Amino acid sequence: MGEKKLVDARGMACPGPIAKLTRAYREAKNGDIIEILATDQGFIPDIKSWVESTGNKLLELGQDGSGVIRAVIEVTAKK
Amino acid sequence: MRALKGKRAVIVGGGSGGIIAANLLAEDGMDVTLVTDNQYHFFQPANLFIAFRGDPAEKYTRNVSELLNPKVRLRVERAKRVDLGNRTIFTESGIKIDYDYLVVAAGARLDYDSLPGLRETREMYGDYYSTPQSAAKVWETVKGLQVGKFVIAVPDLIIKCPPAPHKGTFLAASYFKREGRSVEVELLYPSPHIYTEAELAKTVEEKMRTFGNITFRTSFMIDSIDVEKKTVISMSGEEVKYDAIVSIPFHKGPDIEFEPSNVKDDDSFIKVDKNKLNIIGYDDSYAIGDCTNAPTSKTGVAAHLGAFTVWKRINGENAKYSGRTNCPMITEDEAIFVISDYEHKPVRQRFSKLKRLMEDIFVAMYFPSLRYPKRFEPIFDAYFKATEPEVLGERGW
Repeated sequence: MGEKKLVDARGMACPGPIAKLTRAYREAKNGDIIEILATDQGFIPDIKSWVESTGNKLLELGQDGSGVIRAVIEVTAKK
Repeated sequence: MRALKGKRAVIVGGGSGGIIAANLLAEDGMDVTLVTDNQYHFFQPANLFIAFRGDPAEKYTRNVSELLNPKVRLRVERAKRVDLGNRTIFTESGIKIDYDYLVVAAGARLDYDSLPGLRETREMYGDYYSTPQSAAKVWETVKGLQVGKFVIAVPDLIIKCPPAPHKGTFLAASYFKREGRSVEVELLYPSPHIYTEAELAKTVEEKMRTFGNITFRTSFMIDSIDVEKKTVISMSGEEVKYDAIVSIPFHKGPDIEFEPSNVKDDDSFIKVDKNKLNIIGYDDSYAIGDCTNAPTSKTGVAAHLGAFTVWKRINGENAKYSGRTNCPMITEDEAIFVISDYEHKPVRQRFSKLKRLMEDIFVAMYFPSLRYPKRFEPIFDAYFKATEPEVLGERGW
């Protein structure tokens, strides 16, 4: 079982939550779980697209009543 | 208005934020000391003009002393330690300076060691993030490349001037086209679109396609650069060959010790209230610009507006920084501005020649606007008000 990391990118519109995610991803290894919190609506399509093109796994993606988007990814694509 | 005459302000950093803050506070009659480890101030965006147009570095370099109000005491030395509770800073040589108000504007520290090959490629080909000298090295690289592939590599997105990788791409592509050289410019970018915001990315992508000699890869997470094989390797094992490469370094917070140390985050950025810009837990100490953890772009506009916010707050006003950005993305003859704030993602933009002219006007205004910030404020203020994301709205600009 890998490590679990939390990336809090709430309130970040520019350069956006992906900027914070890529920093956490760099440190991660296969099997690690990264949980990202964001409020930027663009993050929903962006995280889907990023996970698909980088070949990682999106375990959860949802939004709560207050608008906070929560995505959980499993790192699987590191060589 | 508070009685500030004779109160002591210490400013750390000789970039645009530090100089503007020092000059504003000195005009209030405060006893201002500015501590910086570099006697020179560079107009950083011009590194692009040095790197891709061969402009002389001197044109964009000034002594910090000539940009400061003569009443400001300048100390060219590294600030080593800040004791927030005791309102004291210590310089590298051990000099102790007490303050009533502190403004840290120390900028970001560039890190070339977090990625294998980054330091070596900088030595070989230069870069346009660190110094005008290193930018001049890029110009040598560009001039010498007759055929092949010129790569601009972006390993990380928490960087100064987020559109700078794109500016470099456009300016390099224009140069190679004008010279009639068969050189392809490829931008390697970690986010899923070629700019961090999807709508703006479409505009940028369209513009890139019109060049004919620009290619790019998105969601490209760089693992390392193999200098021997002239290859960039991604984290999933994809390889991109290059003939010359310019990489963007990682950015960290400044190398200054703080007491208490928990005012810095894991990357050494200084934790601030994103609107009031005071260092978390202190109401007499502020941090502005690239050295903070404020969730906005690392850009001169944030430093400029941050300096004004802090100056007003020290004067007792309830001023707030909105997170406003205004990052120009230029080609040789057109530009767009990445305009956003904490509440609004970047607004839609159309490339125009007028915006490119506005950028040239700003370059001409830059040094005087540091020396005489109050005189220039009405111009900047009118511009910022007219172009607020709220005002531009869905229609964009």
